[in-house]
Amino acid sequence: MKICMAQRTFISANRFFDIYFFTAFPANHDYIVSFFTTFYYNKNMFTQNKCLVHYCRNLAISTFDEDGNLTDDKNYCLDHIPDPGKFKADIYKYISEHDKIVGLNACGLLFSNIDLSNKKFYGCTFTNCTFNNISSSNVILRMCIFDFAIFNDCSFIKSNSLFTSFSGATFTHTLFTSSDIIQSNFNGIKAYQSSFDDSDLFNSRFIASTLIDTSFRNCNLKKSLFYDSKRTNVSFKMSNTREALFTPEGKTAIEQDLSFGNSIVDGDRL
Amino acid sequence: MKVYFHLNLGGFSNCYIVVNEKTSEAIIIDPGKITEEIISRIEDNHLKLVAVLITHNHGSHAGGLHTLRKIYSPKILAADWEVAGENTTVISGDGTVRLAKMIVRYMSVPGHTSDSVVYQIGNILFTGDILSAGEIGSTNSSYSEYILKSNIEKKIFSQQDNVILMPGHGPPTTLGAVKAFTADFQKMIQSPQNDRIRN
Repeated sequence: MKICMAQRTFISANRFFDIYFFTAFPANHDYIVSFFTTFYYNKNMFTQNKCLVHYCRNLAISTFDEDGNLTDDKNYCLDHIPDPGKFKADIYKYISEHDKIVGLNACGLLFSNIDLSNKKFYGCTFTNCTFNNISSSNVILRMCIFDFAIFNDCSFIKSNSLFTSFSGATFTHTLFTSSDIIQSNFNGIKAYQSSFDDSDLFNSRFIASTLIDTSFRNCNLKKSLFYDSKRTNVSFKMSNTREALFTPEGKTAIEQDLSFGNSIVDGDRL
Repeated sequence: MKVYFHLNLGGFSNCYIVVNEKTSEAIIIDPGKITEEIISRIEDNHLKLVAVLITHNHGSHAGGLHTLRKIYSPKILAADWEVAGENTTVISGDGTVRLAKMIVRYMSVPGHTSDSVVYQIGNILFTGDILSAGEIGSTNSSYSEYILKSNIEKKIFSQQDNVILMPGHGPPTTLGAVKAFTADFQKMIQSPQNDRIRN
């Protein structure tokens, strides 16, 4: 067994995050991935307050104190906040001024033409957000929620995503190339003309996703799940598709095809 | 509250450390395998391990308990007495318990195993193997599957969509996403059996 990649990153000297990542490839191209990850947070995570309007079920967006630091105070959602422009500006300013963002709630906000390169997001919630023309590289995402977000013309090259959820998101012309996207959730996504080329997608899930003109070339798909996905013109060239699961265990491809329509390797170019 | 996530190499299961920062007390959920790093995190942060919560008695979720008990003396909560013998605080049904100055709600959700329990701390559900992103837990029979689905619908799906699920295996998700993209539940909604489950 030959160790082909060993990456050890110390992001911060004061122990906020460290990751050990070792990947070994046996001769038969079976991947054995082993890693251990620990996170350190300096703010409460997932303090998702509901909107102060009693009948509203939306999540409140984050508030800031006088010094510009995040607080856990209760607030309104974007629809009911009295001065949305001020709070939006505060959030944009906070993101631009900080390299490490912990526990930010920015549900429903629009992010356009900003550079998130080298930013680190820990335990942040971006549910229902819209990201337009985001150019970034080396973004680090840990335990973040991007459910039902919309990504248009975004670039997350060389990003490092772990234990993050993009469930139900829509990706158009979005690049995740050369990224480590470990144990992340892409269930129900719709991806159009997007790319995950040269990425490590170990233990990630694409269940019930719709993938059109999207490429997964030279990816590590070990333990990744593509159950019930609808794939049109999807390329898995040079990827270890035999280690990914395209049908639930115990079901044959034909059974799945009968149950869920023509979701089996429809237009795939293996 | 902080949540630390660890991936256990044995069975690729998730182990979580939930910390109350104000009291420096910690709870470990599903210690599938105790590594030096987990111990050092507890020690380096001067945390007091007050409890270990087991979602169900499978090796990839409770295998590290033996090691843990050699070092600490935490309270062990599980629905199966065999997890730690007489040291186990056996829980059954639904209820709440106060651990590390946090309210921990537990719900019995049999189906995957007879002792499956879901723990809720704040806005986070630790579901073990009964529910993960896009999948429900494996079962031994169609009857177990029926029991599991009906329990999930009754106890889990009754909660709000923004609740975060930290499963025993795989990535995190939210309840809204699970409802929308889990094929088992999509089929259940369309099946005539669903009427029986709802009733």
